[in-house]
Amino acid sequence: MLQALDATTGAAMPHSGAALWLGLRTVRNLRKGLTWAWLDTVCQYRRSKIGPLWETVNVLVMTLGIAVVSSAVIGGTMTDLIAYIGLGIIVWSAITAQIGEGTTAFVRNREYILSSNLSIDFYVARMSFRIAITFCHHLILYVLGVALGLISLHWITLLAVPGILLLFINGFWAITLLALVCARFRDVELIVRNLLQLAFFVTPIFWDYRRVLTGREYIVDYNVLFYFIEIVRGPLLGEVPPLRTYAVVLAVTVIGYVLAYLAYRRMRRNLAFFV
Amino acid sequence: MSHVRIEDVSVRIPVFEANALRLLRMPSFGRAKVGASNVSHAGALFVIHALSNIDLVLEEGDRVCIIGHNGAGKTTLLRLVAGIYPPSSGRVEVEGKIMALLGQNLAPNPDATGYENIKLIANLYDWPKERLPEYIRDIEEFTELGEYLSLPARIYSAGMHARLAFAVATIQVPDVLLIDESIGAGDAHFQEKARTRTEEFISRAKIMIMASHASDFARTMCNKALLLANGRRVFFGDIEEGLSRYAELR
Repeated sequence: MLQALDATTGAAMPHSGAALWLGLRTVRNLRKGLTWAWLDTVCQYRRSKIGPLWETVNVLVMTLGIAVVSSAVIGGTMTDLIAYIGLGIIVWSAITAQIGEGTTAFVRNREYILSSNLSIDFYVARMSFRIAITFCHHLILYVLGVALGLISLHWITLLAVPGILLLFINGFWAITLLALVCARFRDVELIVRNLLQLAFFVTPIFWDYRRVLTGREYIVDYNVLFYFIEIVRGPLLGEVPPLRTYAVVLAVTVIGYVLAYLAYRRMRRNLAFFV
Repeated sequence: MSHVRIEDVSVRIPVFEANALRLLRMPSFGRAKVGASNVSHAGALFVIHALSNIDLVLEEGDRVCIIGHNGAGKTTLLRLVAGIYPPSSGRVEVEGKIMALLGQNLAPNPDATGYENIKLIANLYDWPKERLPEYIRDIEEFTELGEYLSLPARIYSAGMHARLAFAVATIQVPDVLLIDESIGAGDAHFQEKARTRTEEFISRAKIMIMASHASDFARTMCNKALLLANGRRVFFGDIEEGLSRYAELR
């Protein structure tokens, strides 16, 4: 195994077929990322009584609180709103974790990056899977909703599975891109966190996108995050998302991976200097 | 055949700090004893010339100790060989499997127990599954950590970390082993064990590069010395001569 580096080559990366090689390596490393994330979760349970379930409790409290306010201000019955809002918040929590925590993925692993020659996709996979495990905890609330009769099961429900997969497949490039950029430009992390807060209000989570005034639909149509919420929330509520939603998500997936790859090509080499 | 070949390599470390340039202009900076002469600025960026025009060729059987003052570039050179730092100019070529044991803490998850960390490392570094029980017994025996291996790694002392890290890094014979000063945290008894282990390891003809300030330890572990000063190669050759050159340098 020969590793050669000069002033032009990327860190342990071949010149030709780099994208394909990188993709294959990343996929091969996913299982190890899961093992690492699993251990992280086990340790979380060890140090607090219910571990990541605290985040699930948080989601539940948020859902109930917002449902009460929404039904009072916007109108509608609590029982109708609670499933819509709850599922929206569950998906949102995964999005916000991937974007918000993604900014710190490499900076947080500074010590390990500077002392080992592990490839950096481990750190991305570790974070991605940890968020996915927490997300699975939140699905308990969905099961609870079904048990209480707030949500009904359909065949359409199964369509949520590809939705969830797409959500995390996109999270992977988002974490890679943000972690690289934020390691170099520390301001970006704060900007991203601020924008995330705004995005919570702009994205239809606690309000119904179908009730937006005519002529103002653009606030939903141009919001990429809305489509990611819809591919999971829609099927779970028994609605098939329109084809356009999937088209947007797939386009974002392709663009996102191209951007993450370009950032990797440009910044991976110097990552140890950035962190 | 494993080898490490470094050809005319310089490493310049950029410092991304808004007021670094202002500090650079302060007269007191020029008087700093540690690495003052090797800084410059490129545009709006403060740059440390951590290594300048280094040439080095290592073949199998070479056990090199890097010596030099603080800030001489020892850790940078180790990171360069490990592929953590890229060369700013020149070329680095390493043939063989590298194991880098740098920094205080090799435990990937400080909240997990010693055993869990060992298993995680086994997973990350692709140790053969069927040999894992044997490896764990070996680590238990070598580190002598006993019940501490069942406790979270965050409570370990520096010496305990050094023991665990060295055991883990040498369990599978890598072609190129890189060790920095943190290994010195181990006590005399451990250093003796480490020496015995290194001998076995070297008998299988591989390369080791370590950084150390402890000359006795360096003497027993290595057969060659690389003396660095201000990021430049001052001497490379026999360990005894290297150590005496280093003593003169002080």
